[in-house]
Amino acid sequence: MSNLTDLYDAILMGDTKKAHSATQAAIEEGVGPMDLISGSMVPAMDEVGRLFEAEEYFVPELLLAGRAMKSAMELLRPLMVSSGQKLGTRVVIGTVKGDLHDIGKNIVASMLEGGGLEVIDLGADVAPERFVSAVKEREPQVVCMSALLTVTMPAMRTTIEALKSAGVRDRVKVLIGGAPVTSQYAIEIGADGYSENASGAVGLVKRLISEE
Amino acid sequence: MTGRERVLAMMDHRSVDRIPFMPITMMFAADQIGVKYGKYVTDHQVLVEAQIRTAERFDIDQVSCISDPAREAGDLGAEVRFFEDQPPAFDESDALLRDKKALVELRIPDPLGGGRMTDRVKAAALLKEKVAGDRIVEGWIEGPCAQAANLRGINRLMLDFIDDPVFVRDLFDFVVAMELSFAQAQKDAGVELMGVGDAALSLAGPAIFNQMIMPAHKKLVEGMKAMGLRTRSHMCGNTRRILKGRGELGYDIEDMDSMVPLADAHAQMPNHVILGNIATVDVMRNGTTQDVVNAVTKCHQDAGELYIIGAGCEVPRDTPEAHMLALLEFARSHRPGDLQPLQVHPGSGPAVSMQNP
Repeated sequence: MSNLTDLYDAILMGDTKKAHSATQAAIEEGVGPMDLISGSMVPAMDEVGRLFEAEEYFVPELLLAGRAMKSAMELLRPLMVSSGQKLGTRVVIGTVKGDLHDIGKNIVASMLEGGGLEVIDLGADVAPERFVSAVKEREPQVVCMSALLTVTMPAMRTTIEALKSAGVRDRVKVLIGGAPVTSQYAIEIGADGYSENASGAVGLVKRLISEE
Repeated sequence: MTGRERVLAMMDHRSVDRIPFMPITMMFAADQIGVKYGKYVTDHQVLVEAQIRTAERFDIDQVSCISDPAREAGDLGAEVRFFEDQPPAFDESDALLRDKKALVELRIPDPLGGGRMTDRVKAAALLKEKVAGDRIVEGWIEGPCAQAANLRGINRLMLDFIDDPVFVRDLFDFVVAMELSFAQAQKDAGVELMGVGDAALSLAGPAIFNQMIMPAHKKLVEGMKAMGLRTRSHMCGNTRRILKGRGELGYDIEDMDSMVPLADAHAQMPNHVILGNIATVDVMRNGTTQDVVNAVTKCHQDAGELYIIGAGCEVPRDTPEAHMLALLEFARSHRPGDLQPLQVHPGSGPAVSMQNP
């Protein structure tokens, strides 16, 4: 199973080419997509998250690891579709309306994907209606919202209200994050959870889903 | 002492009558005169009126040209999105340097060419005219990493650090030359202190900071010192791991984000003037007045004798006035490094009411 180790190492080192070639080699050897995800990708991104929290990795290393992980996923996704395999939990994520800052959201999206979750990234400046449409059409279990500015934080409340008005609030867990956001604010606006960092967001999503 | 004298004395490590008070105010200042922030960032007369009214109301020792990070990039031709009542921002998908090859085509904009850089230069001149010697007039430019992120897109830049360091160095060279040109224009208009904001570098980590970002900041500081400017560095985020390097850059004032323990900052740069760093949202905006007093007391204890009071970043909109007045009261009643309050408040100024409005 050297390809599993190779893929783990490639993601940890942020080496996209090596991640791609190790994944290709593993597929040719008959290793299944879910084995690669659970055996290499999730542990590698867990370690990346640990190194980030320990301040040994910083944003460049985290983005590189995410890019390497995605290159592996690009090879696995068609195989999963053709064999009817699905990742366990689907998450819709976006930066709220009026806010164009997306690096924090991108890091959380990468870590969630690396945690073995299916991530639908709506991008930045996402209007409440787009969150509502995504919930209706893509049927996620979780919605994650990010804001960097105190002046855009109220759009989180507006989005939750829009989910309620559309009758879909109860279908999803809503998590929020971003520099000015606090756990108290999450309670105030009726979110289900708040995380102050990307690694915490992965654990929080998994915990909330397991509690359902 | 006037506010200007107090700040200059502190930067020269001379004695001062009480702790200087230099919080960054932007949206908070606009709200003080009831104008939308979109107006504040596009009309220097509005900015100047708001800065002066805010400085007078809270006896702040400075007035500042700081407003948003998009002036230089906008004059270069970057797509900037303006909002009615919040700071302008960039859409990374339309970043000016989304194609790296475009860097060779860029030319430094004329700070007096009539764009938003000129609007800031006009703000500097008008502030100088109106505050005379009462308060120090602070100009503002973007730091190398922040400006590179504005032009290239922050996600791309973070990958460029590892994928293409040669490009990043070339980009930093361009940015430093542009910012020095902008600094000179503001200096010529009357600025004595230049603030340098770098909102992006804390994301990159110590290795990249030491190898790539530090040399660019050093070049920037050397250039400003050659102009006769005094300098203030504000770096957003957690810079705890690069404090030693920060101390080697040569800025006169090191303005700390609230994520940095001031005791660490003081330990790593014991001979530096340290400004900060009361938590902006948890304490300044959402805390009680007593929380603010507790926080500034702790900052004063931890920062050493070369301490200036400020928040960890911009004073947020909707911060209760009582919280700003509590900081002013603390500043007026303490000398740097002396933990016992003064018996008589030095200087003159409006009476301070600690009551919440």
